[in-house]
Amino acid sequence: MSSQQKTKSPTWKREFERKLVHILGADGVISYEDELIAYDSDALTGYRVKPIFVVLPKTSKEVSNVIKLCYEEGIPYVPRGAGTGLSGGALPTEEGIVISLTRMNKILEVDIPNQRVVVEPGVVNIWVTNAVSANDYYYAPDPSSQIVCTIGGNVAENSGGVHCLKYGVTTNHVLGVEIVLPDGEIIELGGKTLDNPGYDLLGLIVGSEGLLGIVTKVTLRIVKRPESIKTLLASFDKIEQAGASVSGITARGVIPAGMEIMDGLCLKSVEEVVGAGYPVNAGAILLVELDGPTAEVNAETPIVMEVLRQNNALEVKVAKDDKERNLFWKGRKSAFPVMGRISPDYYVQDGVIPRSKLAKVLEEIKGLSKKYGLKVANVFHAGDGNLHPLVLYDASNEGETGKALELAGDILKVCVDSGGSITGEHGVGYDKKRFLSLMFNEEDLDTMNLIRCTFDYKGLCNPGKVFPTPRTCVEPGTKSYREHPIQKAGLGDMY
Amino acid sequence: MSDSLINSLSAMLGNDNVSIESGCLVLGVSKPLVVVLPQNIEQVSEVMRFASRESLAVIPRGSGTKMGLGNNPDRADLILCTEKLDAVVEHAASDLTATAECGITLDKLQDVLKEQNQFLPIDPSHGYKTTLGGIIATNDSGSLRLRYGTARELLIGLRVVRADGSLFKGGSKVVKNVSGYDLPKLYVGSLGTLGIIVEATFRLYPIPEYSRTYLASFVSADKCQETVISIMNSNLVLASLDFFNSSVLKSIAKSTELDLNSNGYSLAVRVMSVERAVKDQISQVKEICSKNGGRGVLLGDKEEERFWLGLRKFEGGSDGSGRALCKAGVLIEDVAKVFNSVERLHEVKTYAGAKAGNGIVNILIEGEDETLLESVTHLRNFCDSVGGYLVVQRAPEEIKTKIDVWGNIGSGTALMKRLKSNLDPMNLLNPGRFI
Repeated sequence: MSSQQKTKSPTWKREFERKLVHILGADGVISYEDELIAYDSDALTGYRVKPIFVVLPKTSKEVSNVIKLCYEEGIPYVPRGAGTGLSGGALPTEEGIVISLTRMNKILEVDIPNQRVVVEPGVVNIWVTNAVSANDYYYAPDPSSQIVCTIGGNVAENSGGVHCLKYGVTTNHVLGVEIVLPDGEIIELGGKTLDNPGYDLLGLIVGSEGLLGIVTKVTLRIVKRPESIKTLLASFDKIEQAGASVSGITARGVIPAGMEIMDGLCLKSVEEVVGAGYPVNAGAILLVELDGPTAEVNAETPIVMEVLRQNNALEVKVAKDDKERNLFWKGRKSAFPVMGRISPDYYVQDGVIPRSKLAKVLEEIKGLSKKYGLKVANVFHAGDGNLHPLVLYDASNEGETGKALELAGDILKVCVDSGGSITGEHGVGYDKKRFLSLMFNEEDLDTMNLIRCTFDYKGLCNPGKVFPTPRTCVEPGTKSYREHPIQKAGLGDMY
Repeated sequence: MSDSLINSLSAMLGNDNVSIESGCLVLGVSKPLVVVLPQNIEQVSEVMRFASRESLAVIPRGSGTKMGLGNNPDRADLILCTEKLDAVVEHAASDLTATAECGITLDKLQDVLKEQNQFLPIDPSHGYKTTLGGIIATNDSGSLRLRYGTARELLIGLRVVRADGSLFKGGSKVVKNVSGYDLPKLYVGSLGTLGIIVEATFRLYPIPEYSRTYLASFVSADKCQETVISIMNSNLVLASLDFFNSSVLKSIAKSTELDLNSNGYSLAVRVMSVERAVKDQISQVKEICSKNGGRGVLLGDKEEERFWLGLRKFEGGSDGSGRALCKAGVLIEDVAKVFNSVERLHEVKTYAGAKAGNGIVNILIEGEDETLLESVTHLRNFCDSVGGYLVVQRAPEEIKTKIDVWGNIGSGTALMKRLKSNLDPMNLLNPGRFI
């Protein structure tokens, strides 16, 4: 509990609720204990904190008024979309509220000639594609949870997907936002045009994990559907051969829309549940999707085939129609939930490595799996080196949860040691903040904190996430920066 | 600046790396400036620590091709030149990434990447001598942005020396990464006001096997526009889609000695891929153009290269009295409207070229100072009225003092100012030039 609340009167909570109801109406505030439980975690269910209230604003103005109230009263708040995040980014704060954006779910504008769509943050990812598919367009970022996850959540996490090797991630498709800043001010950044003058604060906000404000409107870029799509499924004895094929394909100048690898353990489980047509006896499979103009896809196919053969592919299947293609992908997109069928519990890790280090890293993960005595299934976006090792464990065995988390943490160290990152698309959130300093030193983190303080000097906006140690900010206007003696002497900085 | 300060800098960097420049006209600075040439990143930190201690205003410079961008600085003491930071740190060809120090010229980097048949797909003006740091700081881009994006899409990691001399990194060396804030994006287009960019990691692309450009001319800007919309709404995957008025094309024809039909308005459509796919798509482009009355020529291998280089050189332009270079951003649909608005300007000579698929229009206006100012104001009002913007990139000093070169930056301005003062509390880096 923060010091501010300790000094509050015993009735403050009731008064605070009354003020929220005044802003949002009675149906916009959830206060029943039973209902609040539904918001006590996101998809990373290992951590749970019950919020004091959940609010469901319908407009930017309502979001702004709620934030202004929180700002005045010193109440922390956590923005939340569909709650599909895997790093605890939407985990509530002790004695804080959750601002759920799910009622702001309108598609505001579809502008086909200019290739833009404007949406509210609670719009589900796939709805955007559905809104433009009649015109043969789609929204490119396609996280596995796209039928549930919201655009607001995608913006916060800078979500990726299985096609981002060629088409980029969320930040490459978000051109503008309206955002409510942590003092309640509503501003607009970017828009339908490109290269707008001023600092690229939009670029900072995408992927800021809800720490810099609450996005209430998003302008998206939509992309024309490719003329042709060809999906190849290759099987190998060894996962290293699949990895070498990935490097081989890009070395030949081919950038597929997506390249995905699954190891034997993973693909067997998926095949049992989904029946995607995966060869269950293989050690690994590689899915390669080529798209673009028909002539280009046709020219690239034999190049890919040749690389696969050179790497001793056992079999290569080409999806004969959309139905088979969707089935290949359905298997891939089901990989996480399917793990629930073969193991009582599993932990999804998200690390990135340089593509060229794949074989070495897999070997090290194998070693860690042996060391901890826990199985690790591997599925990854191989084209961009984004690994999703799934650590399988049984929480009912004493100490096994801790062991699983430790193993997952060791995998991140391997990723960073090989020149990679602790997260490619799931975010740092609550779960990985202790690992952020593996990648960034004090000065790096200081700079990031200066940015956080620029937006949220009271530290109320999704506090306790991303950064390993909490830092405070200096309130703007309270001191003159120029005259601070420590700073002047070059001995330190203020926040 | 006092002799003792100059002596301290010489002691720090060596006599050869400190010199005096008699002002900088492009920046509107007439007093002598001290130019320092740090030899490595540590020395950049040292210079900035020194500048902080002595409250010296610092103007970062790469090869100096875009020094005229922005307002004239409020103060200037030191020019910090990054040209000695020119090492390629790593070309990880199998990961399609490269890391280099920021003073390296784009061409020098491309030469290294070419050995592995890769390239950094940025083709800004002043191609041959612009530096990586300059490209990032100004978000300079060219025609290839339609397919590959700008530095914003391609920069994945960087190292920066802050105003107080501290060195930090943002991003990483892998193409996909969401750990911490996306600092590389913040520094793209920050115009040297938030730190000295010293090292950058970019994602790369394989050099396409084959490339062709179809150049078609149309009777009106509106016919060009109809063609642009048809092309953008097709399944074609283009590298570039440029839109010119006749004076731009005449100018390129002259400088490249290419025989180009420069009547009316033109589109240059470039396709890069495997040979079969290029030929196939070019024939579709021809068909779309001819439906709108466009008649054109296919530029062969050598001609094509000359044409695009000619355009880049033209876009780089030159400073001088009597000319203003503007960059407008509008919706894809509104590009022709900007051309028509340019056409209606009086008593000036105009050159307009657009990255039509991106809604970016570069306009060079030549005329007397007074008519220049009128023309720029007129165009800005038009762009604002269609929800776009217009930035004055280069202009004679008299014009810069009479017009806000950046225009309306929008409701984020106060926040941007706070950010600048948090990262550079003493306002030492390019003060007054941007935010």
